[in-house]
Amino acid sequence: MRLKLSVALLLSSLALLAQQVPVQEFKLENGMKFLLVPRKGSPNIAAGWIAKVGAVNERPGITGISHLFEHMMFKGTQTLGTKNIEEDLKIGLQLDKVRGEIRKEEQVLTQQLREGKISDVKDPKVRTPRHQQLMTEFEALNKRQKDLMIKDEFDRVYTSGGASGMNAGTSEDFTIYFINVPSNKLELWYWMESDRLSNPVFREFYSERDVVHEERRLRTDSTPTGRFNEQFNALFWKSSPYGWPVVGWPSDLEAISREDALAYFGVNYAPNNLTACLVGDFEPAQAKALAEKYFGRLQRGLHDPEPLRTAETPQMGEQRMVAYADTNPEVRVRYHTVADGHKDEPAFLVLSTILNDRTGRLYKSLVLEQQVANQASSAHNGQKYEGYFELRGVAKPGKTPEDVEKALYKEIEKLQVDLVSERELQKVKNQLAAANFRGLQSDFSLMTQLLIFDSLRGWQIINTDPPKLQAVTPQDLQRVAKTYFPPEGRNVLVFYTKKKEAGGGQ
Amino acid sequence: MRAPILVLAAAALVCSESAYPQSVPLPRHPRELKYQPLSYTPPKPADFRHKLSNGATAFLVEDHDFPLINVSVLVRTGDYLDPAGKIGLAGLSGNQMRSGGTKSKAPAVFDEEVAFLAAQLNSGIADFNGQASLNCLSKDTDAGLALLVDMLRNPGFAEDRLKLAKNQILQSMERRNDNAPEIEQREFRRLVRGDKHFSSQQSTKVSIESITREDLAGFHEKYYYPSNFVFAVSGDFKTSELLAKLEKVLSGWPNRTDAVPPVPKPNYTLKPGIYVVDKKGVNQGRVRMGHLGVTFDNPDHIALNVMNGILGGSAFTSRITSRVRSDEGLAYQAASIFQHGTYYEGVFAAVFQSKSPSVAQAITIVNEEIDRLQNSKVTSEELTTEINSLIDSFPRRFSTASLKAGQFANDFFNKQPDDYWQKYRDRVRAVTADEVQRLAKKYLTPDRMVILAVGEYDAMAKGNPDKPQFSFDKLSGGKGVTKIPLPDPLTMVYP
Repeated sequence: MRLKLSVALLLSSLALLAQQVPVQEFKLENGMKFLLVPRKGSPNIAAGWIAKVGAVNERPGITGISHLFEHMMFKGTQTLGTKNIEEDLKIGLQLDKVRGEIRKEEQVLTQQLREGKISDVKDPKVRTPRHQQLMTEFEALNKRQKDLMIKDEFDRVYTSGGASGMNAGTSEDFTIYFINVPSNKLELWYWMESDRLSNPVFREFYSERDVVHEERRLRTDSTPTGRFNEQFNALFWKSSPYGWPVVGWPSDLEAISREDALAYFGVNYAPNNLTACLVGDFEPAQAKALAEKYFGRLQRGLHDPEPLRTAETPQMGEQRMVAYADTNPEVRVRYHTVADGHKDEPAFLVLSTILNDRTGRLYKSLVLEQQVANQASSAHNGQKYEGYFELRGVAKPGKTPEDVEKALYKEIEKLQVDLVSERELQKVKNQLAAANFRGLQSDFSLMTQLLIFDSLRGWQIINTDPPKLQAVTPQDLQRVAKTYFPPEGRNVLVFYTKKKEAGGGQ
Repeated sequence: MRAPILVLAAAALVCSESAYPQSVPLPRHPRELKYQPLSYTPPKPADFRHKLSNGATAFLVEDHDFPLINVSVLVRTGDYLDPAGKIGLAGLSGNQMRSGGTKSKAPAVFDEEVAFLAAQLNSGIADFNGQASLNCLSKDTDAGLALLVDMLRNPGFAEDRLKLAKNQILQSMERRNDNAPEIEQREFRRLVRGDKHFSSQQSTKVSIESITREDLAGFHEKYYYPSNFVFAVSGDFKTSELLAKLEKVLSGWPNRTDAVPPVPKPNYTLKPGIYVVDKKGVNQGRVRMGHLGVTFDNPDHIALNVMNGILGGSAFTSRITSRVRSDEGLAYQAASIFQHGTYYEGVFAAVFQSKSPSVAQAITIVNEEIDRLQNSKVTSEELTTEINSLIDSFPRRFSTASLKAGQFANDFFNKQPDDYWQKYRDRVRAVTADEVQRLAKKYLTPDRMVILAVGEYDAMAKGNPDKPQFSFDKLSGGKGVTKIPLPDPLTMVYP
């Protein structure tokens, strides 16, 4: 694709750099939206779709279901993955029933744990004979279903078709599915994606739940700071659902049932909640015809998913969490700010760029001049419904997290008192403009950006947001620093290094 | 309970009553779909290769879609050239070239110029090469190239930046035993390569503290000169003009005549067995099990890719992933790699992470899969899936100008034959099920394998009370496991 760029040649200013990504958009009658960006070159197509649902749309009891559900979308359909669909569905129902009975037994054990009568609900010795019997039945049913399965057929069909990079991701705000296919396999993509959206079967539900549990152990439990970060986030958000982890609380992961997943699918994966996108070597007319042919069979949901109800309640005082972990002494300071798309968001993005990197204020001041920190950075995270700004710094040996914290507040104070110079502002605007269109080069990255933008406020913001960054003034920066960073709005996470037992922990 | 067709029933709850709107029947299975043939000829490196007058080689691939230029440089040097007692010198030299300013510009001045151009400029040194790169707007090509060459030719190595970098390295050194993946990588390398080879040697507090500004300057002087560079350039430029610019910025930079020393080969025979690092405070064991692989010039290496794809290299369609992850739910990541090294044998390894009690069970499954690959033929469906995948995804290797230039430069650096990719797909197509079994027997030696587990020893050894048939004891045939202690992180002395 060729972008229309008007590059300002005045000195090194990029301020007038404008980009227009030409997107062809259409909507099917069932409400599903398509975004097409044909680009000649290599015989490939980056293809994906997004469901406007994520962890923020969950509730206590089913936290983690968006992510678990993402895993289940690779488990085959009524057409793919089994030799005998009738038998497969029957076994699926029996599995749910036995699992439901096991769940009742587990609840009894959980109550015994609460009362201190047992110490480990997983210990086979605490199970009743009936519980043990149900587990044996469950294993036997699993085995019967497995014997009927065509293992991982969904993956096999794509892989042998030369597709690559198939994956998916879940965030608080959305769930995205993507892949690269050779340009002659466009119809295969339509077949596969519309098939799993119209008749998925959540085979291996319970073993996949264990896989997700392993993912949680890998990313959160077994890293030096994973569980601390999770708890700090839970502390930061008081009422908002951004407080629970995308991967879910362990107790919910254990309890989510296949029925929960089906109900969730019915509302959130209806075509009126989906956008698809193709970027690469294809003919738009053919892409449109195939969209009607394959995705036209999806049926619109009776109603749109419920809008989010619970907003964050204002913070009344500073919150601190002091942690001892296998990590360097570090401090993080987080403030509530604004959601994605708020008129003040561009100022925060400029602000964090002013603070970051080799020529940023935090490195210059905290690392080079004052020498209180060995690393320092900041970030704005404007999510769909809420947002925050976070500063962090790792204390230099001999300094404390509190020294770093004070130095961070000093930098905030400077932003509140003094206007940022024009040259400093121009520098970060140049960087932001260059970064914006570096991100448009790869078909795959353009496809994912268009989908994510569309799930937030509409894909058009890929063209309309960058000029807003260029319009930020020194006064805007000063105003947001004064408005959003009051002392009572601080949320502070302090890490001290955990002392090791003698002998180095062998 | 609801009716047997639960999926449709549940969907009907929220869907309108209208039937499928289209009347054209859809193909019932993807195998009924028909495709246009995909003809693709890979680009030839010689069409993009240029020899500069002072000996540097450059691959130039134009792409005018974006007003950007991307220049990367591969340099013949590497961590293997760290002098005795100064482990860490190569790495520090590489990053201080970027951080320490230049002879004429103090670090802050140099960094500010790069930042105001919105350019990206980097430098580093890895095991077998040095790398530097520039990405900037094509209208700033001259200014960008000048900064890149100033960095490569005249690094300033400012004292205060070196002091800071050393302080940062020493601080992170203290955390060496905190991160399970880092322990796993480090100890597996020691088990496979032995303690003496450069690739398993670690910097220490003493070695880092001993490194001076003069050491950096000396290291740079030895390896950074034009005939030791391979350039990969892609983006918005005209080839003839860019060649002239490269000639100009590199002119007057003398080459050295002494050869860069060869990469040393490891000389070690691994000791098979089960090894455990007892890492407290984690609820998952990280396992890496394997032995040596092959070198790149081994004619079997492409067929070995196919074999490994079926065993564990191709995600969900491979056997290890399918059994450890989807059948049993024992891991999020379970895979295998079979490397062909450029300078010496790569490594074959199966890797996974599983909750502590199921580690022994998952190791057993991996062993079974290696055994199955050796003792029975892969199915024609497995073989076709793997071969088709490699052939049909092949054009993606060259799908952008920067991938093309990067691939050519890498291949040239590694002395790969020019027609390698031209012949690649035919070599993949020729692999048979008999061949896969022959290779599995020849190159996989499960009885000569090191099995490393990093996690809570007691929980891993105790296993799953519901599955007492799996244990370290059974796996080792009663020989037990060897515990590897954690070293002092600053001296790397093992107790």
